[in-house]
Amino acid sequence: MSAYLGGWQVGFLRTIRSPGDLSVRVGFFAIILLVMSALWSAAVASNGGSIEGYTRAALLWYVFAAQVAVLGVRPRSVEEIGDEIGSGAVAVQMLRPVSVVGMRMSLELGEACARLIVAFAAGALLTWLFAGPPPSLPALALAVPAVLLGCAANIASQHAFGGVAFWLIDAKSSWFFYQKLVFLPGGMLIPLDLLPRGLELISLALPFATMAYVPGRIASGHPDPLLLLWQVAWLAVLTAMAAAVFAAGERRLQVTGG
Amino acid sequence: MSAVPATLRTALADGVANRHSFWVQVGLMVANDVTWVLFWVLFFDQIGTLRGWQMRDVIVLFSILLLSAGVALGLFANSRRIGQLAADGSLDETLTLPVSPLPHILSSRIDAANMGDLLFGPALFLVAGHPTPERTAVFLLGALAGSVVLIGFLVACGALTLFVGGRGEQADLGFNAILIFASYPLDLFGGATKVLLFTAVPAAFVTGLPARLVRNFDPASALLLAAVAVAFALLGWGLFTLGMRRYSSGSIWTR
Repeated sequence: MSAYLGGWQVGFLRTIRSPGDLSVRVGFFAIILLVMSALWSAAVASNGGSIEGYTRAALLWYVFAAQVAVLGVRPRSVEEIGDEIGSGAVAVQMLRPVSVVGMRMSLELGEACARLIVAFAAGALLTWLFAGPPPSLPALALAVPAVLLGCAANIASQHAFGGVAFWLIDAKSSWFFYQKLVFLPGGMLIPLDLLPRGLELISLALPFATMAYVPGRIASGHPDPLLLLWQVAWLAVLTAMAAAVFAAGERRLQVTGG
Repeated sequence: MSAVPATLRTALADGVANRHSFWVQVGLMVANDVTWVLFWVLFFDQIGTLRGWQMRDVIVLFSILLLSAGVALGLFANSRRIGQLAADGSLDETLTLPVSPLPHILSSRIDAANMGDLLFGPALFLVAGHPTPERTAVFLLGALAGSVVLIGFLVACGALTLFVGGRGEQADLGFNAILIFASYPLDLFGGATKVLLFTAVPAAFVTGLPARLVRNFDPASALLLAAVAVAFALLGWGLFTLGMRRYSSGSIWTR
């Protein structure tokens, strides 16, 4: 267990000590908030002040939390995992007496926590400036664990998805496709409540909703603890899936000689 | 100058050498683009119109963005990697050649995924952009001007690395900023943001103005767009050329 905690710590410190990368991400986040603020403000204004119960402030706080949860995660993790498997570099990681996927996820979770601290603070400040105070302070407080759980579910899911490279070898660019699953059925671009009913139900049945929609929904003024339970359940499933995919893939890699 | 088409042909041949991988990446990028189209369809289904913009106008804007990004990031993929190449000392290999460095660097690598944008942009316009001969001509010329602005801006941002050091972080930020702003209707923004989009982050000239020209052609705006394209091409070229005077070799040949 201490090895994984060590991995988490390395990831956290590595990220905190890269102010260049952190500042680019925060700058990127600020631009997204600015654009989304303009988009949703115009949309709400042309719909008489609210859309499906979301006011301008609720929508902007939704966007804030959904974006923080997604931006905390390495965007190209799926591609990087695929590259490591495709190039055979993963074979070196397999020599360590710890789980490859466990150590990778610990490192990425450490990195994500460092990014979340900075992005949450900067984003909350900017959103407050753009949209005014959050619809509910308890909801904003509950959004903190929701964002963390969303990040963790995303990291686990990326490993399950990226591990497919054990079979396909060339998983490059599949991150584009994965990313869009988080963007649309995940609710990062648009709250799922605003989708047509059929699409909303399909999206709610998929794990991606726990990565962006749940943090956003909570921050928009719906502090429902059941939403956190939903995230925990999917996190457990996705972690088990990632572990299973890597275990099967590593066995296959050994058979083919690496 | 004849070296540029030859280099580009070689880069293309190299890019498509692994056909399966090339087409998989093109296909995934098209799937990515379809998701954005779907987002706009769902958005306008809920909203109706947005400050005078209807869905078909946004589809034209998005088609222009895809074509411009396809040219800038697909055909001339190194346009967004100048900063990284400078930081890695990877400009050395170009400096040994008897060609002008910038055109060679820009044309020496294609990006398979962004070639999907290059294919999907025009296809989207033909299917959903209400093409007429006039609109199609303005679409193509507008996207061409937008590509030049985008390449000039990305090269200028990357060339800043030659002055301020780092690994091109400012270029990454500029790249993300211009693509995000260029993805949304210009009329969403007002005040200082709008000024920014016509100056420091020229997203308005990559998609906003070309899309407006397709909708309602105006010779004065077209001339402005062409002048801005030339200005950004010169800015990129100038900053890169000045920056190269400060470039220290990475001694990449002796490592």
